[in-house]
Amino acid sequence: MDTKVNVNPTGVRPPAQVGHEQLMALIDHTSAVIYMRDADGRYMLVNREYERLFSLHRENIVGLTDHDLFPRDTADAFRANDLEAFARGVPVQMEEEVFGDGEVRTYITVKFPLIDASGHPYAVCGISTDITARKRAEEQVRQLNANLELRVRERTAELEASTRELDAFAYSVSHDLRAPLRSLEGFSQVLQEDYAEVLDEQGQQYLRRIQANVARMAQMIDDLLGLSRATRTELHREHTDLSALAREVVAELRNADPARSVDVAVADGLVAQADPHLIRLVLQNLLGNAWKFTANRADATITMDSTSWQDVEVFAVTDNGAGFDMRYSHKLFDPFQRLHTAAEYEGTGIGLAIVQRIITRHGGQIVADSSPGNGATFRFSLTPAPGDWEIR
Amino acid sequence: MSDGPILLVEDNPDDVMFTVRAFAKNHIKNEVIVASDGEEALRLLLPEDDSPPLKPALILLDVNLPKVNGLEVLRTIRGDERTMGLPVVVLTTSNEERDIVASYRLGANSYVRKPVVFDEFLAAAKVLGVYWLLVNEPLPPGLGR
Repeated sequence: MDTKVNVNPTGVRPPAQVGHEQLMALIDHTSAVIYMRDADGRYMLVNREYERLFSLHRENIVGLTDHDLFPRDTADAFRANDLEAFARGVPVQMEEEVFGDGEVRTYITVKFPLIDASGHPYAVCGISTDITARKRAEEQVRQLNANLELRVRERTAELEASTRELDAFAYSVSHDLRAPLRSLEGFSQVLQEDYAEVLDEQGQQYLRRIQANVARMAQMIDDLLGLSRATRTELHREHTDLSALAREVVAELRNADPARSVDVAVADGLVAQADPHLIRLVLQNLLGNAWKFTANRADATITMDSTSWQDVEVFAVTDNGAGFDMRYSHKLFDPFQRLHTAAEYEGTGIGLAIVQRIITRHGGQIVADSSPGNGATFRFSLTPAPGDWEIR
Repeated sequence: MSDGPILLVEDNPDDVMFTVRAFAKNHIKNEVIVASDGEEALRLLLPEDDSPPLKPALILLDVNLPKVNGLEVLRTIRGDERTMGLPVVVLTTSNEERDIVASYRLGANSYVRKPVVFDEFLAAAKVLGVYWLLVNEPLPPGLGR
């Protein structure tokens, strides 16, 4: 060491020589466990945290080995780690476990050899930091994750089971409920044809009413199946051209009802990442409703366009038809709820329930706006929006 | 004109009656032979004893059948060279996609959903009769091998 003392122009005192007492004070006031053992594993020094942890006094430990103090397994592990530090000649880091403070604790330990003037290691120093709390937290996180995964698997299995059940139910509805209806319908027809002379006009009329109800029930079964299908078919998003789909649907409506004159305007370039088969169903129902409820207007118009509301694209189908009273709008999307009598406008009331289900499955929203005699507007989005976003 | 019999594979006696009636109303005179389950249908078409096999001009096949269901019957018919060329119309209550897909995959010639309204059924039976018994040219015997 340089013995010359330089004048320090900044006035800061140069570092003083640190003595043994001061070093001992330093290692005694850390929360880490610090110890030094010789090449044979005999204790040369321990700090205060070591004394506290194992309730031992340093004067009673010096000269002893870990095998005198700890169970064999623990001592063997410590010794092996000491020897590794000796062999490698550089600081090594490992996790160690030991019983202390009434429980098994985990430490992250750095061990490094002390080298004598001739280059031989003669002792090993260890600094062990308690990471029990961290380990425990990690273990908890691991267990939580494992539990979460398990629960996700359980819920997925439950969902799959209920979808399968729904599937089986829908299948049996489509088969088993229609068959007796066919018999009812068929035999009513046979009665009308083969027993016409023994049935008066009143009797014939009753038979026709049976048939009309059978037809209605058949339609409802089909609609119910449509609703279940809209729920259980897998959703495959792809680039979907809503303008083109809407024009196809309108062409179908015109074909089915060529006597009507309806002015339809579909905006160009309406596109979305959505399931085209399901969106077709949505448009069939919305445009079909618009078509139906403008039946009593000579100047029937239907428009479809889109606007952006807070960065979310909102599509709108508007008509100038019969409209409805907004007081009942909460019933609008419920299955088999109708706001018009069957005599006014036919239908089973399932269409908007299907529409809402499909929109919801896309993560979107749908709202209706109307008043009696002033047409209706249905606005919908097809993408998940931020939590407080509401369609306008 | 194919004047062979029509094999109706159908377990519901009401449906059997309506089908027979619909053909009669449409002046389709072919004999209608009824198999009330899939096993019986296969026994008629592919007898395991020495009895002569039925050679129908048309098979009307229901899907939901006791014992051997319609799709299995179809698979067996298409897998045997004696019956592979027979026209098979799947006639069922279901319009489930999977039944339609499975039927065509197994080689059904046509898939018809039984209408609830009898008049519509009548119309369907007429079209089926005209097409499969009058218009369609069946596979000549022995050429399917």
